[in-house]
Amino acid sequence: MAKFLFIYRDPVEPRPQPSPEEMQQFLALWGQWFEKFPGAVVDGGDALQPTGRVVKPGGIVSDGPYVEAKEMLGGYSVIEAPDYDRAVAIARACPIAMVGGAVEIREFAGFA
Amino acid sequence: MTEQSPLVEHFFRHEYGRLVAVLVRTLGARHLELAEDSVQEAMRRALRSWGLGRVPDQPAAWLLQVARRLAVDQLRRARLHHRFLAGQPPGAGDEIAEAEPVQLAGEIGDEPLRLLFLCCHPEIPAESGVALALKTVAGFGTREIATALLVPETTVQKRIERARVKLRELALELEPLHHPWMKRRLDAVRAAIYLLFNEGYLSARAESPIRQDLCDEALRLARLLSRHLVGNDPETHAMAALICFHAARAAARVDSAGALILLGEQDRSAWNWELVREGMDWMARSAVGDALSRYHLEAAIAWEHCRATSTEATDWEQIVQLYEHLASQVGGPAIELNRAVAESRCRGPQAALQRLLAVPAKSLPEPWPLWHAVLGQLHWQAGKRAAAIRHFEQALDVSESPAEKQIISSRLAILRGTASPSWLDGSD
Repeated sequence: MAKFLFIYRDPVEPRPQPSPEEMQQFLALWGQWFEKFPGAVVDGGDALQPTGRVVKPGGIVSDGPYVEAKEMLGGYSVIEAPDYDRAVAIARACPIAMVGGAVEIREFAGFA
Repeated sequence: MTEQSPLVEHFFRHEYGRLVAVLVRTLGARHLELAEDSVQEAMRRALRSWGLGRVPDQPAAWLLQVARRLAVDQLRRARLHHRFLAGQPPGAGDEIAEAEPVQLAGEIGDEPLRLLFLCCHPEIPAESGVALALKTVAGFGTREIATALLVPETTVQKRIERARVKLRELALELEPLHHPWMKRRLDAVRAAIYLLFNEGYLSARAESPIRQDLCDEALRLARLLSRHLVGNDPETHAMAALICFHAARAAARVDSAGALILLGEQDRSAWNWELVREGMDWMARSAVGDALSRYHLEAAIAWEHCRATSTEATDWEQIVQLYEHLASQVGGPAIELNRAVAESRCRGPQAALQRLLAVPAKSLPEPWPLWHAVLGQLHWQAGKRAAAIRHFEQALDVSESPAEKQIISSRLAILRGTASPSWLDGSD
């Protein structure tokens, strides 16, 4: 069994506002997603606040997330799977795709 | 992973209305849009945090806290920006609402009702007020409102914008409901709830779960209004009764065309008898004083349908009389149509046909498939096959509802002799 970090990337560009009802349906999909893979979720993880600080070489501190792509770091989970194929299969079922987001999968190196 | 506590049905939608109303009370109605944006953003954040398995113990309080912080931050930024442009240093007065205690969900009072009364202000056009109420008080999205009201989404947006402009122009604010002028706005508030219900229940032109949601929302608001001092009067109780009686039969209904044509084929055991009982309670409470409103009459008609054990056992004569009262109070082709259907049951199709054919075509809303379908049915019962076919064909032509089309088509097939009327001898 390997451990994978699932990094949720939200799209930055504006999208049509979902209605409260649609948001609740979307929330239910996340719950269903986790339930579909019993035992795979080591840590559900957490969401991240949309803003933060960036500390650069020389101790320069700036506000805001470190935006390098068209996506923003929205949250993370820790998932257990036998291999990348399985991890990818789990990520494919993630409802984040419905709102234009992506899941980045990184295997833990296991040094710690 | 922490335990996922399931949210109640429509939690987000209902909380949206409550939270917007509470924020508006603190921020002022001029910041209605800011309140809405803040609640929307709070819910967006909840989506991500809760999606990962952490629904807080008090989700409503969580949302309120986040939304309030977002709104206050936004106001503070705007004020600082304004001061900066004006060359003033930041100073006292920036700490907006900082001292405001965080109100918990259980402490939310009559704000939603106050927001509803604000939307029903006499200076705001009724259809704009209803759209705004659906958006803010009921928490529907503009697309959902468009689907429910059968108008384009751009129309909904325009109506909401018109209401917002009026709110700003007149600097309207939420007002305590005990003011004497609130009683005068009560008619408009009832009319708005009634419109909500009618849109959800009576229109036959679209099938969508959202229409059931409209009915549920109307019932929720009617209960809210009935239980508050400002709306606690016989007329509101009659309206609550009316909505309960109709809603009780909703599950057994094919659609509204079916309700008129196929009432006899409905499965009465599928009715929601708990709602019927609630309706009876409201009706008993409405029978006080001497006001006989349209809601009283319509509740009485709906009650006649509920209490009858079958179509044959229905007191159609009583229903015709109630419709006659109603026609003298309200009037309009929809009432004429319903009255004619009732009349056909107790006095035969000929009397009903005469009544309907006397209604000037100009006064009919077009397209109105139900009108033609009923005319088709009445002609059929009167033995006028050719006219019946003609009217059913007209109905089929303008109908946009698959369920309705199916009912009409089956009638036509029988009339044309291509299908046998098995349902006539009661074998199904």
